[in-house]
Amino acid sequence: MRPVLGVGALFLSAAALAGAPEPAGDPGRIAFQKCYACHDVTPGNDVAGPSLHAIVGRPIAARPGYEYSAALRALAEREGRWNEALLDRFIADPEAVAPGTSMTFTGMRDPRERADLIAWLGRQSE
Amino acid sequence: MARLPAILALAASMILTASPACAQQTEEEAMAEAAASATVTKVFQLPEGSRPHDAAPAPDGKVWYTAQRQGALGILDPDTGAVRQVPLGADSAPHGVIQGPDGAAWITDGGQNAIVRYDPKTEKIDVWKLPEGAGYTNLNTGAFDGDGIHWFTGQNGIYGRIDPRTGEMDVFKDPEGRGPYGIAATPSGEIYYVSLAGSHLARVDGKTGEATIIEPPTADVGTRRVWADSQGHLWISGWNSGELYRYTPASGEWKSWKLPGDKPKAYAVYVDDRGIVWVSDFGANAVLAFNPETESWRSFPGSGPEANVRQILGRAGEVYLPESGTDRLMIVYTGTP
Repeated sequence: MRPVLGVGALFLSAAALAGAPEPAGDPGRIAFQKCYACHDVTPGNDVAGPSLHAIVGRPIAARPGYEYSAALRALAEREGRWNEALLDRFIADPEAVAPGTSMTFTGMRDPRERADLIAWLGRQSE
Repeated sequence: MARLPAILALAASMILTASPACAQQTEEEAMAEAAASATVTKVFQLPEGSRPHDAAPAPDGKVWYTAQRQGALGILDPDTGAVRQVPLGADSAPHGVIQGPDGAAWITDGGQNAIVRYDPKTEKIDVWKLPEGAGYTNLNTGAFDGDGIHWFTGQNGIYGRIDPRTGEMDVFKDPEGRGPYGIAATPSGEIYYVSLAGSHLARVDGKTGEATIIEPPTADVGTRRVWADSQGHLWISGWNSGELYRYTPASGEWKSWKLPGDKPKAYAVYVDDRGIVWVSDFGANAVLAFNPETESWRSFPGSGPEANVRQILGRAGEVYLPESGTDRLMIVYTGTP
């Protein structure tokens, strides 16, 4: 058994999760809370899902070493690259755009929230 | 509420997959084992687009499932194949469901960022939102401890508890942040959960709420779900490693088994009333039944391509396999009611 590393602490009402987008501030970053469990925006850091670093304009299903579903590979053949309009449709209803996707997120219904998220993701490219 | 006509198919399953551990088993022994563990599977069609994520035994022999994409609790009557869905709220996207000691369905609803209770007698729905300051937590799975407290995980880096008697809720940060996923209670009522991104097991102190991390022997195995057997051993699935783990709390011992197949990805894990360990393997599009005594595997293929069984649960004689990728639910009748 490897050593015990630490213990959890009571979550105080205004405290932020370790590394998670804080529940106040940039609305796009707040919207990213719904992606955070499975995605990071650090280059090369795949979590359960692939890194979203520089996602706007990036080829679809092309992260080296990441095993994409057949649904995302088919989307890549149809659409080629992620653009803002495609991201908007996909984030609104992933299953409708890529039937059979292994991403279980059911969709972000608010257009304003999606626009904030996509604008914020667009800035995560440096 | 949707009501569907019923059973898609009835099929007997007798598929054996030999593991390296049982490679020396004779044909006679294999046949005898197969005969002794004869099972029947039934596949039930659920509403199109429901994307059933988790399932649980419901009262009166029915089966609950979370219709994650349709924001509803599904109720399947396996005797007739009838299905209806109970809407849980406008923003609902339920992930986990279990039956509480009160006979109600307790649902971890990621879409509403809330714990939801459905009373099957009155059909009343209670919703407890997480505290504002917690932000969006991506609620995952729940379990009841020995004192009747409902514990839950949230993949954004939290775990928490709610007292069903008072509605009082506490939310805690996982020591390593993002990743808390499966959660289970041992026969003695202790709570353990695993972190997928953090790749650790954690034991929760029921009084203080503190979580103590227990690291697997190998880093980054992607511990996804956990279940306790009747002896208190914890069985854990390794999403990244494709391995099945057994942790013994009393001794701290870890043991592991690689799933058969070329590129296994172990997702759900459950131990049935016979001590058989069920593991879903996305790599093989199958659910595997592992016999710890013989260290042999038996494969139950998905009812269609990319069936994607993300959770397994059951009751004596029945094992539920919700297929999120096919909108179906398979029940394996193990012959031990």
